[in-house]
Amino acid sequence: MSKSKVSNKSVISRLGGQKFIVILVVIGLIIFFSAVSPDFRKYTTFMSILDYSYYIALMAIGVTFPLITGGVDLSIGTGLICYSLTGGYLIVQKGWPVGAGMVVALLLSIAIGLLNGVLVAIMNLPPFLATLCTCMITRGLGSIFSQNFGISWPTSGTPGSWFRNIFKITVNGTKIPLGFLWVVLLVVLMAFVLNHTKIGRYTIAIGSNKEATILSGINVKFYHIMAYVISGFFAGLAAIAYSAVFSTVQPGTGAGFELEAIGGAIIGGVSASGGVGSVVGSLIGVYVICLLKTGLPYIGLQANWQQIITGLVLIGAVLIDIMKKKKEQK
Amino acid sequence: MGEVILTMKEIDKSFPGVHALDHVNFEVKKGEVHALMGENGAGKSTLMKVLTGIYKKDSGTITYEGKEVEFHNTREAQDAGIVIVHQELNMLGHLTVAQNIFIGREFKKGIAIDDKKMNEEAKKLFDRLHIDIDPAETMSNLTVGKQQMCEIAKAISHEAKVIIFDEPSAALTEAEIEELFKIIKDLRKQQLGIVYISHRMDEIKVITDRVTVMRDGTYVGTLITKDCTKDDIINMMVGRVIYEDPKEHSMVAPDAPVVLKVEHLNAGKMVQDVSFELRKGEILGFSGLMGAGRTETARAIFGADPKESGDIYVNGKKVEINSPEDAVKCGIGYLSEDRKRYGIVVQKTVAENSTMATLEKYMKGLFIDKKKEKQITEEYVKSLATKTPSVDQLVVNLSGGNQQKVVIAKWLVRDCDILIFDEPTRGIDVGAKNEIYKLMNKLAEEGKSIIMISSEMTEILRMSDRIVIMCEGKKTGEVSIEEASQEAIMNMATREIS
Amino acid sequence: MKKRVLATLMSVSLVAALLVGCGDSGSTPASSSNDSSANTAASSGDASSASTTGGDYKFEIIVKSYQSSYWQAAVTGVNQKAEELGVTVNCTGPNAESDIADQVNMLNNAINSAPNGIGLAACDQEACLDALQTAMDKGIPVVCFDSGIPSAPAGSVYATIATDNYAAGATAAENLYPALKDKIASAGAPVRIGEVNQEATSESITSRGLGFIDKFIELATADGKTVAVIGNEYYVNNCKDKGDEASADIIIEVAVPAQTTVELCATEASAILNKADTIGMFGSNQVAAEGILTANENLDVLGTDPANSILAAGFDAGSVIKGAITSGKMFGAVTQSPLAMGQTTVEVLTKIANGESVSDVPTQGYWYDSTNMDDASIAPNLYD
Repeated sequence: MSKSKVSNKSVISRLGGQKFIVILVVIGLIIFFSAVSPDFRKYTTFMSILDYSYYIALMAIGVTFPLITGGVDLSIGTGLICYSLTGGYLIVQKGWPVGAGMVVALLLSIAIGLLNGVLVAIMNLPPFLATLCTCMITRGLGSIFSQNFGISWPTSGTPGSWFRNIFKITVNGTKIPLGFLWVVLLVVLMAFVLNHTKIGRYTIAIGSNKEATILSGINVKFYHIMAYVISGFFAGLAAIAYSAVFSTVQPGTGAGFELEAIGGAIIGGVSASGGVGSVVGSLIGVYVICLLKTGLPYIGLQANWQQIITGLVLIGAVLIDIMKKKKEQK
Repeated sequence: MGEVILTMKEIDKSFPGVHALDHVNFEVKKGEVHALMGENGAGKSTLMKVLTGIYKKDSGTITYEGKEVEFHNTREAQDAGIVIVHQELNMLGHLTVAQNIFIGREFKKGIAIDDKKMNEEAKKLFDRLHIDIDPAETMSNLTVGKQQMCEIAKAISHEAKVIIFDEPSAALTEAEIEELFKIIKDLRKQQLGIVYISHRMDEIKVITDRVTVMRDGTYVGTLITKDCTKDDIINMMVGRVIYEDPKEHSMVAPDAPVVLKVEHLNAGKMVQDVSFELRKGEILGFSGLMGAGRTETARAIFGADPKESGDIYVNGKKVEINSPEDAVKCGIGYLSEDRKRYGIVVQKTVAENSTMATLEKYMKGLFIDKKKEKQITEEYVKSLATKTPSVDQLVVNLSGGNQQKVVIAKWLVRDCDILIFDEPTRGIDVGAKNEIYKLMNKLAEEGKSIIMISSEMTEILRMSDRIVIMCEGKKTGEVSIEEASQEAIMNMATREIS
Repeated sequence: MKKRVLATLMSVSLVAALLVGCGDSGSTPASSSNDSSANTAASSGDASSASTTGGDYKFEIIVKSYQSSYWQAAVTGVNQKAEELGVTVNCTGPNAESDIADQVNMLNNAINSAPNGIGLAACDQEACLDALQTAMDKGIPVVCFDSGIPSAPAGSVYATIATDNYAAGATAAENLYPALKDKIASAGAPVRIGEVNQEATSESITSRGLGFIDKFIELATADGKTVAVIGNEYYVNNCKDKGDEASADIIIEVAVPAQTTVELCATEASAILNKADTIGMFGSNQVAAEGILTANENLDVLGTDPANSILAAGFDAGSVIKGAITSGKMFGAVTQSPLAMGQTTVEVLTKIANGESVSDVPTQGYWYDSTNMDDASIAPNLYD
């Protein structure tokens, strides 16, 4: 640590640090794909990117909280499918109203989040292991609820399909990505929660130095659990977004979704070791992943390359994190 | 000194198998700084933990502001006005200064936290303490000294009437200690009662009004500081006399061969053009203030940090050291100042730690030869007089001094002839310190060469044959023990570099 | 130390289990392995010409699960045929296809009841091996349907009745090509046919994909057109003729997503649908077909009129695909025939009981579109 009185902030860090770099990456990717592929430069392509991004973005908002505590939540991907199958089963097979199915999906997501929180904060399981277990549990549960068959929430044009309009409406023949508005509003809300409420403050405190937080007389267990409940709840919201955008939800899938959300959060500047991160950054990071995912097929790259390139981008993000930390220590 | 604000009487506390506190008495008056001294394990921390409600006492009474009290947790003690400033800083590096100070009792505006008000209130606290810190600065950007100031500000913000400082100076530079003392004196003027726990004898003389000494869980006595000598206090602490006399003259023959020669070493801002020689059987003291670049120099020599330029010769031969592995091959061992982070694996046994750097010597095919490992370790336990029930004991259960011996054993097992001791006695109590000193002298007599980095002047003067002084990344002086004096060294260590 | 090693091992194996689990997921319940030999045996489904008559036989039929309409269709077929032949059948099946142990139990119970034969749609290819050995020891013939068991003890499985996926894929081409024929003939520039396959490893999916490609090439070549296959290497290298992209009149572009999920299929489909020269699409299973439909949600380019829209063919059923065909978004799809499979199973079991020799029976895929969805021969096969 240097003896300098005030840390001299660079232009970039004043503009939001990693967030700023990642926005540049997003813009760069858009320009690159547009330049290479004329098919990419279409309104419909951007509609698709947004459509396919909602569930990842929502998961990323939520998982930012456990990540900042220094933990992780691996159960959100299979959880998403589980909540969607459960809600969808009740709607399609049992004839429940769509709204009621959504509420059940959300309640279940909160319950799984709570379970994660209890396992981590009270039973002291390592987050990796605890959420890996719930990952498997939700996977099994989803298959049981749906009797192992794919479930399609009401499709467009059928009764009950109103919920699809939450994410996309057609005005005068033009499709409006309404879902993006909700995602942005939720990001603003959760950024406020993270930066200006006790829940957020103590989430950062736990990730920064858990022992010290306990010694400060804070009910660390409660706030630690809350981080996982938030993560679970947003996986529930993501389940609704997923059900609305995609047609059939297949049991047994979902493993891997969480990696895109976590990857997005880390690209967006959440420190892999906790204490640092922002909801806005996570959202921008998600769009790096979504752009790669959508853009690479347009430039004729085989799908597996997309994963390799996403992996490389992640390494870059983690390296930036490590370099920042080294700089801090000097 | 005013009236008594806190009295602990006949406090008794047992843990299974240990009588930790045996009817201990302690009192604090308003406007006094009361030192609490004793070797590690004497019961100081236990006493303070009983006071602040972390432990429940078995018997005895605590009277605070005229009323008998018993706190059940630190929060209750805090609310009553008794606050500990911990030795290990309990800071949340990613939050701002103000956020740290008011953690757990944030000002709110609706459901939102009112950071603006917290910054204002923190500013007021700093003004009261005459400290210049920006409340909106991120905590990890502050120096350790400034962080400690924040801890104090946090304590005061609790409307504290009694503040307990637990080894506050351990990580501070001389200048920061100065500032700390100024604040403590200020608090004393404001009629707060202050408990000051420290190992540093010179500080006790400077800052405290009274000294209470504990030994093995018992109360030994209380002295008025200005009426007693260092030796009085030490005698009470250890029950035996310890001399901390400086070394009279070098033990090294002038023509002893040079085993290590460093020329024009550069490694970042903290190591600029450092050159020195180390002779066989010599203890070379490295003195300077915190942040002078001594540890960085050692790490660069050891290959733990990359160096930009400079040559290193071992036994007259130029060597390339790019990693600790290279250094060990050249016979250089490095004992880190932060034992727990770099030196030992506390959850492993004495034997496993001792042989960790040399495991290949104890392999039988694919497997570790446990018998041989044990046998070698036992030899070193004996020769270093490490106090451990067996070599299978987990290191975490040993005292600081004995942990340090395990680290030493690790490098001796490795056949290192050049040993770099970085703050070898930090966090070690007086009795154990002496043993480490004896051991270092013995190693030097046996022909090992030692570089000893130390921030304690008495240690430097007592152990070194020759002293290199560094300041802000540069070597600012080199003196033989014969010509060394505290004043001269301090002068070079604080010299302005233009 | 030991503890930590154990923990590490545990977590590694957990992850491994997870990954393995992930790999085999996402397939539709109806996906089936195609181990039928190049047997040209008469397709079943059609009423058998042999005058098979049932004696006083009793058969045990075990399905993969008992509650989906796909299996209900199979059971309907079984019961129909049993009534026709005058044999007794007892149908059972676990609640879910993943309840492997339950199914093995049911199989053992079936063996213990000493029937004249067992029809089995195995949930797991390995779990049933012991039971099959027991059945063989006891002289009970077993017929596999829907999915084969390649490693079954020799002689235990008398016949396997499963969809001929290659032929089913070809069926899609046979129906899609004629609809596009005029457009291809009149096109001034090369046109593009897209094919989305969920993966390039499982036998059933790759057979369908290749069946479509090969048949399309065959039909187009007969009309004097040249065809090139591009995209995923497996399909390019294993089709009959990959042609030359530079000179071809028709380009078949094969996309395989990195994972078997709807959204990745949709992403791949979007990229192809967005190309101006694309005139047709084929999705070789339910996930791939729904991926094409999901992509179309934003693109709105699919329809049934080749003049102004892209024609998409799907595979399997499900409410989404059925809805898309009804509303004219999807041109048509190929469905497997659980009904016929059920019928054939009983028929083959009866033949065995009569002492006749039997061989594997590949069943057909049926083309359906808005015109024939409600036909009595098709509708029962279209599960939700």
